[in-house]
Amino acid sequence: MNGWGDHLGTFAEGALNTVLLTVFSFAGAVTVAVVITAFRICPVRPLRAFGTAYVELFQNIPLAVWLVLFVFGLPAVGISFGLFTTAAAATALYMASYYAETLRAGVNAVGAGQTEAARALGLGFGQSLSAVVLPQALRAIVQPLGNVTIQLLMNTALAAAVGVVELTEAANRINLVLAEPLPVYVGAGVCYAVLALMISAGTALAERKLAIPR
Amino acid sequence: MTAPARRRRLAALLTAVALSAATACSSSGGAVPPAGGGGQEQNLLDRAPVASDADLATSPTAQAIKQRGQILIGSQLDTPLLSQQNPTTGQTEGFDAILGRLLAKYILGRPNVKIVNSTSQIREALLQNNTVDVVLHTYSITPARAEKVSFAGPYFMSGPAIMARKGDSAVTKPQDLKGKRVLAVTNSTGMALAQQYQPAEMITLGTNAECVTALEQGRGDVYVNDLTQLAGNAQTNDKVQINTGTFGQDPYGIGIHHGDDTFKQFVNAWLTKIQAAGLWQEAYRQTLGTVIPGDVPAPPKTGSVPGS
Repeated sequence: MNGWGDHLGTFAEGALNTVLLTVFSFAGAVTVAVVITAFRICPVRPLRAFGTAYVELFQNIPLAVWLVLFVFGLPAVGISFGLFTTAAAATALYMASYYAETLRAGVNAVGAGQTEAARALGLGFGQSLSAVVLPQALRAIVQPLGNVTIQLLMNTALAAAVGVVELTEAANRINLVLAEPLPVYVGAGVCYAVLALMISAGTALAERKLAIPR
Repeated sequence: MTAPARRRRLAALLTAVALSAATACSSSGGAVPPAGGGGQEQNLLDRAPVASDADLATSPTAQAIKQRGQILIGSQLDTPLLSQQNPTTGQTEGFDAILGRLLAKYILGRPNVKIVNSTSQIREALLQNNTVDVVLHTYSITPARAEKVSFAGPYFMSGPAIMARKGDSAVTKPQDLKGKRVLAVTNSTGMALAQQYQPAEMITLGTNAECVTALEQGRGDVYVNDLTQLAGNAQTNDKVQINTGTFGQDPYGIGIHHGDDTFKQFVNAWLTKIQAAGLWQEAYRQTLGTVIPGDVPAPPKTGSVPGS
């Protein structure tokens, strides 16, 4: 029952790793998602097909499976990164499909008149996307993007299964010594809740700053 | 824009329906058919003792199991020589599995066991909320755990040992773990013990199989786990080797609901009976004894370690 203090360091380290995993995966996922969304709405058929295939492939196989495939499958064909990097990459690629779908919903929310007007002004596909469509699309989907990000945060817990010492794994290790599952896992749960609330707050702030009054 | 979107939505919906249907159909294969396994084991079960009514009367828990007609045992299905499901027969094979069937026969008169998958994270919880009657799967007795659950036994004395890739004998004693990258199973006693020798990095994975794969792929230098688990790995995998005997004492107990003293005495009495009858030794010979060199060890005395 004693020695809770010794474990706070482990716990904090785990929480930090969860935050880092979330941040890196978020950055990677959004980057990939913008590219995939551009593919899905561009006039070139093979690129559109690739974008669709990507989303369907990653959305319809669970993240736990991707993680195991990346961690144990890639070294079998000679590609080996550290556990943290591998887990972040798998999470980013998986979540990218969700961000891409959200982004596409935003693009669909932009009136067809807007694109037509952009074309009438002589803007090319890339220009109309970056200057007219995406800025409006992003404003329309701030809230759903926040939700997907919270989903991403929760999904980082799966990295515990492949040996990344994040919050869940830290809780597992502390519980091994203390055999106090309730307080340990409730503590971890509270940490996740706080992080999720921070994402919510950020989303609400962005929403207020960016929302287009309709 | 909208027609293809509608088509895609429909496709997604159909996929979701198909997936949920598929998951609904795949039953979780936890039930194990009554023993009809190897002839050797059948012989062992035929000679196994059955509790008298007077014995059963001493424990309400044992009576409740008898009423139900089936014993619920928390265990896993992926541990060679201890508890591994044979894919062709569906039968779990190994030392822990045989003991589970012997206990079932003692209470019920026939070896009717239902295995409930219990990972090391949820064992205590399963016992606390009575999801299982006993946990019988490499469950090490520790004083901290004994505050949450009660332990009958110990029924076997194991201990951590060190496994490395074939031909790598850099680590031959626990002190050599210093500065090495050490693999272990999440929440195992091997992990706790290895941490005392200041490894450079502890890498924990969910299962024994994952740890062996990670060892082969060079994610860690050595893998620390119970000698019993490692013996199973060495038997099934020729890319790894056992480098040490066991260091430290790791008594395996039978986890039961905390504070159920009458059931604890009941299970301990059963353990003493099968040890006296030589059935315990025979179960060891048929399983662990096939790969661990040396004679059958003397079974540990029940209640001989702190926490039991």
